[in-house]
Amino acid sequence: MSKKRKISLSEEELVLALRNREKIAIEALYDMYSSSLYGVISRIITDTAAAEDVLQETFVKIWHSFSSYSTEKGRLFTWMVNIARNLAIDKLRSKDFKNQNKNQELENNVTFIDEQRNTVYKPELLGIKELVETLKPEQKSILDLVYFKGYTHVEAADELGVPLGTIKTRLRMAILQLRKHFN
Amino acid sequence: MEDIKAYIESGILELYVLGDITPEEKLQVETMAANHPVIKAELDDIERSMEQYAEHNAVEPSEQLRSRVLNSILTNFGDDRNFDAKNEPVVNNVVALPTQKPNNFYKYAFAACLALLIASGIALMNLYNKLQESNTQIAILQSNNQHIANRVNFVEGELGILRDTSFKFLKLNATAHAPAGAAVTIAWSPAKKKVMIDMASLKMPLNDKAHQYQLWAIVAGKPVDLGVFDANPDSTDMKEMKEIAAVKTDAFAVTLEPRGGSVNPTMDEMMVLGKF
Repeated sequence: MSKKRKISLSEEELVLALRNREKIAIEALYDMYSSSLYGVISRIITDTAAAEDVLQETFVKIWHSFSSYSTEKGRLFTWMVNIARNLAIDKLRSKDFKNQNKNQELENNVTFIDEQRNTVYKPELLGIKELVETLKPEQKSILDLVYFKGYTHVEAADELGVPLGTIKTRLRMAILQLRKHFN
Repeated sequence: MEDIKAYIESGILELYVLGDITPEEKLQVETMAANHPVIKAELDDIERSMEQYAEHNAVEPSEQLRSRVLNSILTNFGDDRNFDAKNEPVVNNVVALPTQKPNNFYKYAFAACLALLIASGIALMNLYNKLQESNTQIAILQSNNQHIANRVNFVEGELGILRDTSFKFLKLNATAHAPAGAAVTIAWSPAKKKVMIDMASLKMPLNDKAHQYQLWAIVAGKPVDLGVFDANPDSTDMKEMKEIAAVKTDAFAVTLEPRGGSVNPTMDEMMVLGKF
């Protein structure tokens, strides 16, 4: 998409560079993960400007609190996506954002509804179709509620009216399906 | 080994990767992963698949955002080395201040309003009580006023009798039946056909409840009933009796009769008698 070549490093190199606080590290981090993180953020916050603010806050927070990340705890992306999701949910629940949302114009709502109904053509979502067929609908709905909408599994159980145990099983089955699909 | 398999199948590793886990559970998973390579491998596998799932769901942010984000981080690049990891981003501190002030203001304003409301409520109650008091006093004064007006009317009426030259006054003196000194004064106006008893100068023994005094006029030798009265020491008015048609009378007399009066006087009980 961009004319400029995107920087890409292995995870080990990236972590080392971030720890040494090199300029190239943050650029590589952005190029490698911004779209994945934005995918999560923009599903929690549909307002584009607010979602972009949260993405910026996410990178700022990753940069400033990088010393609290360690490779033993897991993969870098898992750590980052949790930061992104928490910031997005905080934003969504913040007083400012709620007040701002009350005053949304009708015009904005039209595009908002369009986006929700997926009537807008999004080339970046093309690869998903095959995945949808991999996951059963009830598996996908639970996985997306927790992963993309920031629900806890307890809230998801409430929302879907399904026992907690079933939610856990379905989550595990969904991820097992994904593992089979990707490997 | 069985325990580890059960632990993996419990689904807690998935919740760990999804970030939907309590801090205690998080610590537990990390300890388990450090001690058991199988769990570590399983975790890694889940993480990779979720990472790929996120990639599949990726949304490209707008191109300007890249320079905006990088600038916001790199502007203070040199200083950032000194940042403590646990420091909150500066942005959060800036937001916190202005929200504090209006909150306090509204708190105080609300308290002030409440105090004012209570104070005005109390003042209103006091005022209401005073108004009630004044109203009661006005009512009392009005009734006093009425009473005095009545009294003045009455006294003027009596004064009228004294001034009226058509009235003749007659003192009825005690007979043998009555105690010595008993007397009744009456006023009679043949022109106005009125007979009155002056209760103030009445000197008669008190009658009991079964009896009353009755006033008679003797007209052409026959007694004419002029009504009954009680010997009440408290009364001081001129008591108006029944109308008298006769222009000439022989005498006036008072007898003691059963309560309510009799048709014919009981001559034995004649107390006082007077002649013109």
